[in-house]
Amino acid sequence: MNDNDVLWKIRDSVSGVHMDVPVDAIVARGRARRRRRLSGLAGAGAAAGVALTLGLTGIMSSGNTSPPATSRGAQLAAFTVVSGPGGTSTLTLRKGKQYRLDPGALRQALAQHGIPALVTVGSMCDSTPEPAGLDQVLSTRRLADGAVVTTFNPAAMPAGSKLSIGYFPTHTKFALIEDGAPLTCSSNPGSSDGIVRRG
Amino acid sequence: MRYRDVGDEQSEFAEFYETSRDPCLRAVTASVGDRQLAEDLVAEAFVRAWVAWRKVRRHPAPRAWVVRTALNNGVSLWRARRREIPLAGQDAAAPTNLNDGVDAALIGALRRLPARQREVITLRVLLDLDTDTTATVLRIAPGTVTAHLSRAVAALRRDLLPASTPADAMEGRQ
Repeated sequence: MNDNDVLWKIRDSVSGVHMDVPVDAIVARGRARRRRRLSGLAGAGAAAGVALTLGLTGIMSSGNTSPPATSRGAQLAAFTVVSGPGGTSTLTLRKGKQYRLDPGALRQALAQHGIPALVTVGSMCDSTPEPAGLDQVLSTRRLADGAVVTTFNPAAMPAGSKLSIGYFPTHTKFALIEDGAPLTCSSNPGSSDGIVRRG
Repeated sequence: MRYRDVGDEQSEFAEFYETSRDPCLRAVTASVGDRQLAEDLVAEAFVRAWVAWRKVRRHPAPRAWVVRTALNNGVSLWRARRREIPLAGQDAAAPTNLNDGVDAALIGALRRLPARQREVITLRVLLDLDTDTTATVLRIAPGTVTAHLSRAVAALRRDLLPASTPADAMEGRQ
């Protein structure tokens, strides 16, 4: 084995690794952070500017999909989506103060894996009628650190259906909904024992 | 004009992200050995790169900036987590298979290298930086980069040799 063989092996060892996070998700989080930084600078100004600063912060928050930063520093993406064997995809949702879920970014990432989804944070939406077959579409398990790992089989999704994901601080709900049907959304977290599946 | 500047900045960053995200993720995965953690760290590093894009775009190697930021953040997270006390009664961790696309044996060998040698491998081999740029990023002499790379390759060859000897022998290679 010569030097080139070793270098080739190093490159080859991670050649199957690809980053799935879309650039829009990165930019959205960066923009939110820039806004917070600006509002923080404004807040550090003269006392006479406090009222103005509060006003600006309120306006900015209304258009900001990312929750405010905690004092604990960096916030991490609350999800990853990776491709698996046989056309499956695996979603890992993490919980904790250091994680913030951007529902639009998750919806976009799932769409790239062929999974149309409605993602809501702090609420859960159901449709009437509710398509059957959820157990064929996904399987879930919970890790010791509270993360929820869900493996999807997009091919098993009934025609005209979407996945509804309700992300709560203590648990996550999954259901199939009929695309275009009236939705009923509830912010009641209901069961808090981990993963809740319907259908 | 201000909006146009912002748009140009964003498209420039988007182009950087599209061409750099896989190499950066591979470099960080090789260092931390956990693909999921690496993806979190790299995503966070790219967010910081976007926030500080006017500075990062002038860096001699913006990809190296992202990788170092990700790895530094990883060290901070590790320090924070080791102080956490696990709660009783939690489910046992289920086996995961999310390290697809990663050669675990070679990653293990990389992680056994001294930190500086691993940094040189990451920048020179996985980010494909030249010797001078690697030296600038690491603030060491170009000759030191070459020496670290040579030692790292020799160590990896020794580490990988037992597994590769039969195949090499069949191919008549040294």
